[in-house]
Amino acid sequence: MASAYTQPMQALIDALSRLPGIGPKSAQRIAFHLIKCEERDVEQLSSAITKAKTMVKFCQRCFNFSESDLCQYCGDDRRDATTICVVEESRDVIAIEKTREFSGQYHVLLGTINPLDGVGPEQLKIRELLQRIEPQGVKEVILCLNPNTEGDVTSMYLARVLRPLGVKVTRIASGLPVGGDLEYADELTLGRALEGRREVVG
Amino acid sequence: MILRHLHLSNFRNFIDAQVSFTSGVNAIVGTNGQGKTSLAEALGFLSTTKSFRGVPTEAMIRDSTHTAFIRARVLHADGREVTIDARLTNQGRNQVLVNGKKLPKIRDLLGILRTTVFSPDDLDLVKSGPHLRRDYLDDTLAALAKKYDALRLDVDRIVRQRNAVLKQSGGRLNSAVASMLDLWDEKFSISGTQLGAARLELAEKLTPLIVHAYEELAQRPSDITISYSPEWLTVGLAKSLVEARVEDLRRLITTVGPHRDDFEITINSLPARTHASQGEQRTMALALRLAVHRLIGEQVGETPILILDDVLSELDPDRARSLLQHFPVGQVLITTASELPVEAHIAKKVEIRGGTIISAPESD
Repeated sequence: MASAYTQPMQALIDALSRLPGIGPKSAQRIAFHLIKCEERDVEQLSSAITKAKTMVKFCQRCFNFSESDLCQYCGDDRRDATTICVVEESRDVIAIEKTREFSGQYHVLLGTINPLDGVGPEQLKIRELLQRIEPQGVKEVILCLNPNTEGDVTSMYLARVLRPLGVKVTRIASGLPVGGDLEYADELTLGRALEGRREVVG
Repeated sequence: MILRHLHLSNFRNFIDAQVSFTSGVNAIVGTNGQGKTSLAEALGFLSTTKSFRGVPTEAMIRDSTHTAFIRARVLHADGREVTIDARLTNQGRNQVLVNGKKLPKIRDLLGILRTTVFSPDDLDLVKSGPHLRRDYLDDTLAALAKKYDALRLDVDRIVRQRNAVLKQSGGRLNSAVASMLDLWDEKFSISGTQLGAARLELAEKLTPLIVHAYEELAQRPSDITISYSPEWLTVGLAKSLVEARVEDLRRLITTVGPHRDDFEITINSLPARTHASQGEQRTMALALRLAVHRLIGEQVGETPILILDDVLSELDPDRARSLLQHFPVGQVLITTASELPVEAHIAKKVEIRGGTIISAPESD
């Protein structure tokens, strides 16, 4: 099908629509916006992208975003190296850090097992995780992956390859938001919370 | 559950139309092409977030406009009144507000307005391939509990992912492929078995209700059997997947599991799909809907609104009469091109002409 746009415009739309969460219509809207923008604004955006891309690297140990070889958590020797929290993306590290409940180290997989997107275990930072277990004397690996199909399968896979190394593998519970009302919880979350119930200490 | 008021704008051929309904039987009368089915479709959308005609959102928006609005005021059994606003757009996401509050996910709408829709297309439920009958079971499960909606999406996703593993293997089984298949099989066994078990339990509950509804419509005892008994569920999905692996690798698809199930119906010992008459098939399709209508009413404690779209033109006069005499409890909206007979006990008549609603005064 011939494109209704001129070639540079179509190329921009195509490039934008490859971004996560951006469909063809959003891509069109953003492209039109960019063309209408002041040249200065567009330059600012493009230089911000280039700068972030060159300056932000992955931590060589855990693959979190980092400006140096080791990220701020791997480089901090006050953090417990024997507990590793496995997450999908760097943004999950930020979410967990906000809780201030975790003082161990992280490992970012950079995705989940997703054959439809051509992602198998080899494409994820799983080998690198296994290589950290013995040298760091890791005792527990906490899997903090999203409670969806791919998150479940990736957790199953990790449990399978980690257990033979003699490490305890746990997965975070799915449950109720704190401060919420039981009555207003959606039944799916409430059901999962019931499944993952715990004995009361008292 | 009672629909009190409906407001449509730029929805199908309705520019701007409002109509109120009453409890009991509401007749929506109009000749073909005036918008009767569209009205039913709007309500169906509010309860399932989909068109029962199986068309995308764009098709429901009036030509040359970009946004359609549906607003419904619904009275629940516990006395709560709920206003649902849906904004359908062909640019970006649809939006739904319940009592003026935006729903985070449009799927959260499920269960707020409950409807049972019967439309002429439902003949396919009996007549065409197994997927519509699987959807019939799964839609009912999702209406009973939201966890089943998540479960069916999970199973669907697993099958697509597993098929991707098979395609990428090109049919060659090496240790990496075997390990990935083992992994997806383990996940599939858990979720697939849950879905199969839920379908089985549901089929057992529905069977007597379907038989009852059919016999009431046909006005005579009928020899009907309904069975959901997939082999993998008896053998175990894990074991079935191992046994099917060679075949799966040859065909590069998952050949066993809940995504291939059927829900088989026989009338007089013959498969209804291939051997029943058109009249029997229509009666069965309606019985399937009426059975779900009753089950949901009983299990959820809130009788759905029964929407019968053009049902009278579909049934022979005897069966149509027996339907009108045996309307289930609760509110009924029935669209028709002809006048309804007295037996129907019409509480309110609404006339539609070219996307305009001419409402008659309430007779109760």
